[in-house]
Amino acid sequence: MNADIIIQANDLQKHFDGGDIKALDGVTASIRKGEVVVVIGPSGSGKSTFLRCLNLLELPTGGQVLFEGVDITAKNADINLHRQKMGMVFQHFNLFPHMTILKNMTLAPVKLLKKSQADAEFQALKLLERVGLADRAGAYPSQLSGGQKQRIAIVRALCMDPEVMLFDEPTSALDPEMVGEVLEVMKELATEGMTMVVVTHEMGFAREVADRVLFMADGKIVEEGSPEQIFTAPEQERTREFLAKVL
Amino acid sequence: MRPSASQSWPLVAPDWLQNGPDWLNDLGYDIYKSFLFDNRYEMYIKGLGNTLLLTFLALLIGVALGVAVSLIRVSWDKNHAEMHGPGKFFLGFFNAVSKVYLTVIRGTPMVVQLMIMYFVIFATSRNKVMVAALSFGINSGAYVAEIIRGGIMSIEQGQMEAGRSLGFGYVSTMRYIILPQAFKAVLPTLANEFIVLLKETAVAGYVGLTDITYAGNIIGGTSYDYLFPLLMSALIYLILVMFFTFLVGRLERRLRNSER
Repeated sequence: MNADIIIQANDLQKHFDGGDIKALDGVTASIRKGEVVVVIGPSGSGKSTFLRCLNLLELPTGGQVLFEGVDITAKNADINLHRQKMGMVFQHFNLFPHMTILKNMTLAPVKLLKKSQADAEFQALKLLERVGLADRAGAYPSQLSGGQKQRIAIVRALCMDPEVMLFDEPTSALDPEMVGEVLEVMKELATEGMTMVVVTHEMGFAREVADRVLFMADGKIVEEGSPEQIFTAPEQERTREFLAKVL
Repeated sequence: MRPSASQSWPLVAPDWLQNGPDWLNDLGYDIYKSFLFDNRYEMYIKGLGNTLLLTFLALLIGVALGVAVSLIRVSWDKNHAEMHGPGKFFLGFFNAVSKVYLTVIRGTPMVVQLMIMYFVIFATSRNKVMVAALSFGINSGAYVAEIIRGGIMSIEQGQMEAGRSLGFGYVSTMRYIILPQAFKAVLPTLANEFIVLLKETAVAGYVGLTDITYAGNIIGGTSYDYLFPLLMSALIYLILVMFFTFLVGRLERRLRNSER
């Protein structure tokens, strides 16, 4: 196997209702180190399910996921340990409302990585500085705007020093004027060489930042390629149809 | 030998009352025999102490049981599809026990449970307060369990997912992320359950435990006049409930004002 590959999904299946509904119908994909992969497709195409299968928030009903060469879908795999290295950002932020921003960010590093509170806070403040929210460290999530919450959610995941970041429609729940600030942070992250898998409807972002674009429909990867190829010369009829609607 | 109430009344009543109108005289006499004669007020105080002790102990038992049962029920419902091996067997077993517990306790009257505990299960024990506290605690636990389960289920799924995605296990996510929020959400409801429990202990007299109700009942029986003893019992409950309701109200306001 190629040593560069950090996540390898093999023939992922996700069936509901005893196989009547196939959210994922045999998805095989590999994510290389340092690569930004953007997953696009119509709603219900299985792109979020695919992303959530990568860190097993959704348990695939078939196929396997290899993370750094280890089969994390195996029964004896310690998924909690692997998830520490896979940061995830959600559509609805999912910050912990009963904790301050700083506590949100330091909880996992202190409890799981056994960092000291001081070290964790130092790192958290540095990250907050980078996204321009250092002054909100003591605030509670309810006191922040959507865009601020999502930027916090991103740096909360970064506090675990992940190998890869998974983004599940990170801008879909935001007011339009806040989309930019979140995408900006993601772009910066991509520039720094972070491995990213992004499910999004932001075609501009896909075009500009992605190294590779996956187009999904009906639980399958219909087409994949460089952004230029997908956006300017899609090979599949299904891809053309979709792009005609969203561009 | 102690004088009877009617004999002693003229001795202790002040002149202005004895020479007053008949209705005032009668009223004074009724109050005297309900509270003062034979130091009967001590019985109300003892009853108040027992009611409070009983409620407090039952609350502790109820919350401990309720937390345990609700966690078993929630963990089973959320995870059993993905579990296997002995862990699944044990959790499934405890879940089944919890379901039977909830059904039986919530499906039978408190008084009957209390009598079964005192006259059958702990027939050899003379410690009425302990047996009654256990009985009320077991009863309250069933209701507390459902309250807490509701609180846990009211926390959005995204919170569990966020915790798990950071690498926390199910138990740690529960402990650090879900339960603190759930408790905050159900605290007012739990406090109300405590007030309900306080009033429910009024049936403790069925096993001869001197609580507030029993004190009023006994004094009413021995003095052949139930009016003032029972009014006094009711008044004590009312004051307690109003006091705790006031506290719950303050608690709710504080929770509302805190960061959420």
